[in-house]
Amino acid sequence: MLDNLKDAVRKFLGSSSYDKAVNDFIKELQISLIKSDVNVKLVSNLTQKIKERLEKEKPPTAIERREWFISIVYDELSKLFGGDVNPDVMPKKIPYVIMLVGVQGSGKTTTAGKLAYFYKKKGYKVGLVAADVYRPAAYDQLVQIGEQIKVPVYGEPGNIDAVGIAKRGVEKFLNEKTDIIIVDTAGRHGYGEEAKLLEEMKNMYDEIKPDEVMLVIDASIGQKAYDLAYRFHQASPIGSIIITKMDGTAKGGGALSAVAATGAIIKFIGTGEKIDELEVFNPKRFVSRILGMGDIESIVEKI
Amino acid sequence: MLESDVSYEVTEKILDDLKNVLVGKKVQRSEDLEKLVINSLKKSIEEILTKNQRIDIIEEIRRKNKKPYVIVFFGVNGVGKTTTIAKVAYMLKKNKLSCIISASDTFRAAAQEQLSYHASKLEIPLVKGKYGGDPAAVAFDAINSAKSRNIDVVLIDTAGRMHIDQDLVAELKRIVKIAKPDLRILVLDSLAGNDALEQAKYFEENVGYDAVILTKVDADAKGGIILSLAYELNKPVAYLGIGQDYDSLIPFDAEWFIKRLFSS
Ligand SMILES: Nc1nc2c(ncn2[C@@H]2O[C@H](COP(=O)(O)OP(=O)(O)OP(=O)(O)O)[C@@H](O)[C@H]2O)c(=O)[nH]1
Ligand SMILES: Nc1nc2c(ncn2[C@@H]2O[C@H](COP(=O)(O)OP(=O)(O)OP(=O)(O)O)[C@@H](O)[C@H]2O)c(=O)[nH]1
Ligand SMILES: [Mg+2]
Ligand SMILES: [Mg+2]
Repeated sequence: MLDNLKDAVRKFLGSSSYDKAVNDFIKELQISLIKSDVNVKLVSNLTQKIKERLEKEKPPTAIERREWFISIVYDELSKLFGGDVNPDVMPKKIPYVIMLVGVQGSGKTTTAGKLAYFYKKKGYKVGLVAADVYRPAAYDQLVQIGEQIKVPVYGEPGNIDAVGIAKRGVEKFLNEKTDIIIVDTAGRHGYGEEAKLLEEMKNMYDEIKPDEVMLVIDASIGQKAYDLAYRFHQASPIGSIIITKMDGTAKGGGALSAVAATGAIIKFIGTGEKIDELEVFNPKRFVSRILGMGDIESIVEKI
Repeated sequence: MLESDVSYEVTEKILDDLKNVLVGKKVQRSEDLEKLVINSLKKSIEEILTKNQRIDIIEEIRRKNKKPYVIVFFGVNGVGKTTTIAKVAYMLKKNKLSCIISASDTFRAAAQEQLSYHASKLEIPLVKGKYGGDPAAVAFDAINSAKSRNIDVVLIDTAGRMHIDQDLVAELKRIVKIAKPDLRILVLDSLAGNDALEQAKYFEENVGYDAVILTKVDADAKGGIILSLAYELNKPVAYLGIGQDYDSLIPFDAEWFIKRLFSS
């Protein structure tokens, strides 16, 4: 993919016909984005915009063309996730309630632990609420993670009233003057027979009124990401996104679709199974990965 | 097709087939054209899919007639390995085959408790491991236990691991070396996009596998990966996971898949 894009840039520079060069580049860019699992419609919208700019705006000088070219791609991509800034991940107020949602196995419970650890290290008093009543041993999983990082966990093993548990858990931690309360929820996708699970999520949202709903999304997710995120967003407005499993080979383009579907910003990425493997999102690094190019950071910095 | 997570290469191949069919043909009416296109697409897809035969686990076990028959399950994190094992155990039970589960995920929090729950619900014996312990040793114990108790099948659960994590892949290789499985199942998530093929390639190269079980198909995923797997790796998809209940595991059916791909 990297080679394709490099070829395209080379063709673009060497080509006599500017229009043809632009078209070639756009084609290669589209392939790169689709291979990175960016939503097909989103790819087409994005590249349309990029194409228009390439046709309208004139490149500065021949030498700087390549840089200029990539910076436009970067510019349009980063507009998607709220511009070229690292997100502010500190709570806007205290106490602050975070609710984690996402598809089965995306990494919610593990990420709940990682977040708790992240904020605890920053000096906040943190509490975890185990509101997944479906997955076998979901409660034990969060308890074991809580023990590891010495953060209290609220849960009611055996009870199947997820909304009630979430409500009582948040209340308890509020009474204990906890700064940040993180609610772990069951995995769900909401299609077919699972429609009632989306309903449950909506009820939980209405009941505990979290300050922020975080969508936990697997870096490997494909074309379904847009639709899924959109449905989640309808049930409980998504405030931010965490991309997990970035330590694999997945490019994470599906997360871009989720951003487009919700208007939420990406705050963190997960880079491993261990509790400290959580990083604050860096837009440049992310775009480099999506495009399969390593040097975006320096290029964008220069322009 | 791209929107169904069919890989770019496979989509191109199928479109090439289509071009060959269409070029030079005179078509009178637009309905005829539509038919021609759909038929060509279906034919290419069928061709890709029937290159590799299907696998029926129950048949395989009966055919091989070896006791115990050992199956190992692996894949990246959170794809549904443990849940799939519970479903397979249920299927075996329904087919009057006894089984024992080896809880060889000794790493992830509550991995042991998760399997304990399933095992007791399904009334199936389980060999547990200690957290931090050697997963291969657990498998070894489970196989021995099956031998002494005359159990038909051993199902080995393994911890989720990234296909590029060298240490963990080496650990998996060791489990396979010690357990000498009769069947190696790669579990893939149908919601995954192009990376699923990447996972399959790495696991094939470094460990090797015989069939795929594709999970979470109930999440309205089209399962385009099925085509890429068949086309690029010549590997069959044996079963699909279509829910979180024990009975939501169904055999893969090519016709069903084609229908689904063309319903938008
Ligand atoms: N390699 C890697 N694994 C991760 C990461 N985040 C989570 N995992 C693993 O992904 C798997 C699923 O994580 P969970 O936290 O149980 O996922 P979940 O979303 O809570 O799952 P459900 O509650 O069943 O919906 C586990 O094996 C985790 O260790 C990550 O950033 N990298
Ligand atoms: N909707 C749906 N959910 C599934 C399916 N298969 C598994 N799951 C869910 O996916 C989540 C993860 O499943 P696990 O079986 O724990 O996955 P795993 O691969 O063993 O995970 P690790 O051991 O952490 O790597 C759980 O919430 C399961 O209930 C399926 O076919 N459909
Ligand atoms: Mg969970
Ligand atoms: Mg497991």
